[in-house]
Amino acid sequence: MSEDKILFNTGSLDELSEEIGKLTSNEKSRLKLTPGNADSGLAKLVLTLVELIRKLVEKQALRRVDGGSLTEEEIERLGETLMKLELKMEELKKHFNLTDRDLNINLGPLGDLM
Amino acid sequence: MDKMIYSILSVKKNPKKLNTLLIAMKGISGADLYAVSLDEISAVVCDIKRADLIADKTNAIEYAGVIENLAQQFTLLPMRYGSLMESTDLINKMLGRNYHEFQQNLQKVENKCEFGLKIFCDSEKLKAELRAKSEADTKTPAKPAPEIKNSVYRDWVNKKLKEHRLEELLLTYIDSVIAEITGYLARLNAVNKFKKMATEKTIIDAVFLLDKERKDALIHVIEELQNQYPRLNFVLTGPWPPYNFVEIVIK
Repeated sequence: MSEDKILFNTGSLDELSEEIGKLTSNEKSRLKLTPGNADSGLAKLVLTLVELIRKLVEKQALRRVDGGSLTEEEIERLGETLMKLELKMEELKKHFNLTDRDLNINLGPLGDLM
Repeated sequence: MDKMIYSILSVKKNPKKLNTLLIAMKGISGADLYAVSLDEISAVVCDIKRADLIADKTNAIEYAGVIENLAQQFTLLPMRYGSLMESTDLINKMLGRNYHEFQQNLQKVENKCEFGLKIFCDSEKLKAELRAKSEADTKTPAKPAPEIKNSVYRDWVNKKLKEHRLEELLLTYIDSVIAEITGYLARLNAVNKFKKMATEKTIIDAVFLLDKERKDALIHVIEELQNQYPRLNFVLTGPWPPYNFVEIVIK
């Protein structure tokens, strides 16, 4: 982006450039399935979906805890389940050599998945 | 040889002007540009071999440059990079099939251009400030999680709950900033689209469509908003072709 397109900015150009780079760079978050990487590509796809669902479940559960509609025992059980799910997810990511960034697939005009 | 389409534009006012302009311009990799027209609508195209169409930064910049130059003279609908058709005859047929939609969208963006607004801040610092403010407002910690049992699971829930509440505080704050911006923009008759938390630092990524002559008024609005929110960094860019305000599913 040329500087004459910047109509107003009180921050530094370096910061702007760095942030725009993050918004437009989706190299890491692309899903590249080829015959040579079918296993890891599929693992990335599956883990992405699992992670998305896990985060949605966690968010909904925390909303219910916050809303005060759960008993102490229910919160305890929920905490145990969600914590174990999180740990299991960490294990799987480690096993397939994936990071959080890898699982945040870029959906083009819709933005990042998570 | 395939045809790559750069944009669809209205030439009702001055069709000769387009041809003169295209002679003076070049497409990606120096390709000649020409117009395929149907009545008042033209598609600006160049010849390209499908195998030569590489989606890299250089080509994308050249492609955007062509659209940018055309947008300075004409009302247009930018096409997505890599929009290919096999012949001018097929382009003509496509223009005919979608003529009504193109006309409608061209009317929608006539004499208008797009502006981008990105609002940056240190979201962690902002969250800490919002939390401190929330606690000060209520004189007690905001909604303290009940610490009834001291188990590892309950501690985990408490930790997550704390993060969740901070996120909610931040999103409420972002919504209030968006509401403020929308209020200002209503005065300029702008159409807007907002995206929250595009990155950790980019808390708002917005685009506006408004009359070209209202550019200075928009800059003034952003200056006012910047004064109102000194801890945020407002970056306004433009004018751009209406990349985010054209919605056509081409038949």
